[in-house]
Amino acid sequence: MTGSKLKLKLTHNYLHVQKSALSNNEAGMFGEVLRQEFEQFRKQEHSESSMNLRETAFAEFQQLGFPTTRMEEWKYTSLKSIQKGAFKTLQPDMEQVKALLHQSMVKSLKANRLVFINGQYYPALSELLEEDASIVLTDIKTARIQCAEVVEQHFAKYAPIHGEAMNALNTALSPDGAFIFIPKGKKPQFPIILNHITDSVLGPALAQPRNLIVVEEEATAFVIETYYSIGANPGFTNVVNEIYAGAGSEVEHYKLQHETGENYHNNFTQVFQEAKTKINQVTLTLDGKLVRNNLHFYMNGSDCNSLLYGLYLTRNEQLVDNHTRVDHASPNCFSDEKYKGILKDHSTAVFNGKIMVHKGAQKTNAYQRNQNILMSDEATVNTKPQLEIFADDVKCTHGATIGQLDEEPLFYMRSRGIPEDVARKLLLNAFAGDIAEKIKIPELVTILEDQIDATI
Amino acid sequence: MLEIKDLKAEIDGKAILNGINLMINPGEVHAIMGPNGAGKSTLSSVLAGRADYQVTGGTVTFEGKDLLELSPEDRAREGIFLAFQYPVEIPGVSTTNFLKTAVNEKRKYKGLEPMEATAFLKMMREKMELMEMDKSLTSRSLNEGFSGGEKKRNEVFQMAMLEPRMCIMDETDSGLDIDALRLVSNGVNRLRDKERSFLVITHYQRLLDYIVPDFVHVLYKGRIVKSGDASLARELEEKGYDWIKTEVEANA
Repeated sequence: MTGSKLKLKLTHNYLHVQKSALSNNEAGMFGEVLRQEFEQFRKQEHSESSMNLRETAFAEFQQLGFPTTRMEEWKYTSLKSIQKGAFKTLQPDMEQVKALLHQSMVKSLKANRLVFINGQYYPALSELLEEDASIVLTDIKTARIQCAEVVEQHFAKYAPIHGEAMNALNTALSPDGAFIFIPKGKKPQFPIILNHITDSVLGPALAQPRNLIVVEEEATAFVIETYYSIGANPGFTNVVNEIYAGAGSEVEHYKLQHETGENYHNNFTQVFQEAKTKINQVTLTLDGKLVRNNLHFYMNGSDCNSLLYGLYLTRNEQLVDNHTRVDHASPNCFSDEKYKGILKDHSTAVFNGKIMVHKGAQKTNAYQRNQNILMSDEATVNTKPQLEIFADDVKCTHGATIGQLDEEPLFYMRSRGIPEDVARKLLLNAFAGDIAEKIKIPELVTILEDQIDATI
Repeated sequence: MLEIKDLKAEIDGKAILNGINLMINPGEVHAIMGPNGAGKSTLSSVLAGRADYQVTGGTVTFEGKDLLELSPEDRAREGIFLAFQYPVEIPGVSTTNFLKTAVNEKRKYKGLEPMEATAFLKMMREKMELMEMDKSLTSRSLNEGFSGGEKKRNEVFQMAMLEPRMCIMDETDSGLDIDALRLVSNGVNRLRDKERSFLVITHYQRLLDYIVPDFVHVLYKGRIVKSGDASLARELEEKGYDWIKTEVEANA
């Protein structure tokens, strides 16, 4: 729908649910494990300010409990099975980790690589190529010492804790994470890959990396976050990312989720944009048992350009939930969002895209689409585009489609001698093509195409 | 080359073809004409293997093989080509990628290695010149945003690339202005040779001014009711289809 000179509010149907305290019964075994982990931090954490933050966050988490399907934002995504697992911080199996690092993660690409296993930083496995010492690529723990001011200024300032139980949990218990600092006007020579591995070889593993990316004004960053897992036990990855884009900066940020079918994954990424920033964000969800992506953009300054693209391939009993929110809080900003899904078997996808045009955010241009192809009669899509507009000179459109591969193009291809399975691959790659073309790394596109081929 | 014997077919329980007999030898061009609803497009769809139609009787033999037993892709790889009345738009798949896949799938079927990229591109260039095609069309998505004339020329271009033995053209003239018709027909005529046969299905005679057939058959109520040479097409153009209908009813 297009609205100019209109004051309208399309959807506003949140349910305000009574928050329930986290009792022993509700959280079960996992709640007890989390309390023990928190006690460990009480003993280990040296910095008073960070312990204070952990205390506040853990209290908030205990107050809120895990989100439930009674909450509008979690209506289709149940975290019950996570609460039954006793996920905890475990030591990695280094041989399997090394084998994984050898065979995966766009190895042929020349890039800075920071390796995190179950949220802990492994410098010996990492590879840093930048010669300019003012560009900082390290972990949060080190950054607290070496770049204390930057951490103080930006850490936990963008991703909300209040009312966000999963963010609170990460803030309370994250052992570490990546710290990227690109000073004013700088541009790293190579892309930066954050390799996050959830290792559940020894048991059900908890991985809570916490990443902070600070890109100062007129600087440029190219960051690829990858998530893989090893081990036969289930894993639970709960990530918080904060990305600060200083005025006039440009950020290319990709997230590749490629954990196994036994892994649960929750991710909250908050992008905070100052004026005249350009962000291209691509979220690829290729595997996992349950994946929930929360991607929030906040335009704090005018003339921003925000691109949000996503692709999810689901199969078996998998559930993939993409919740996005774009806050047009300043005038004259542009956002373009497109999420596409290919669903097989009994899998389920959820898309909830909210565009919030704040009062005074005139000349906002916002586009949003969600398109799905169902490859099976048993697959389900719940899609909900939302526009909330409090300005009167804006242009916003949104739309969603759910369908199957058309028979007519399939027959056309077969009539030219192309077998049915090859024809399906061509059509699915074409469907995914307008997301793939937003990815500027060919090696990553190849991973995507291989996964699409495996989907057939 | 192609022998159709007493072919009967229906769609959703409704009989459309009621016993077609047709023999096409190598190098021959046959035209099938007939009023709307006679079964012309059904015949082309059944020969290409469209799943919507049920064959209820008869046989189709193509170069000694039972055509009706083959999947649509195997029919194509054996050498059948259907030029669509309404070519399908496929966004995101370029004509080049589409044709490279089709050509190499056919080679694989015949036990040949895939074509080298340079050899393939050279072949594309040559056939494009032959068909007077604009080069820019091949890098665009298949048929997407093409005009009616461009789509039909693209069909004939694909025909040139895949080098079929038997070309079936389903109302290729529909929706074409006279210039586009001439371009498409020129393309087809360049592909005519002693080994390659054509079945040209059309409602109007004007296409047959450009692609001159060896035989003309009139299809009516799912049967071939009259056959002749190119002059039969001109007779139909002058007199319309009513006299055929009258003749058929009188003989019934």
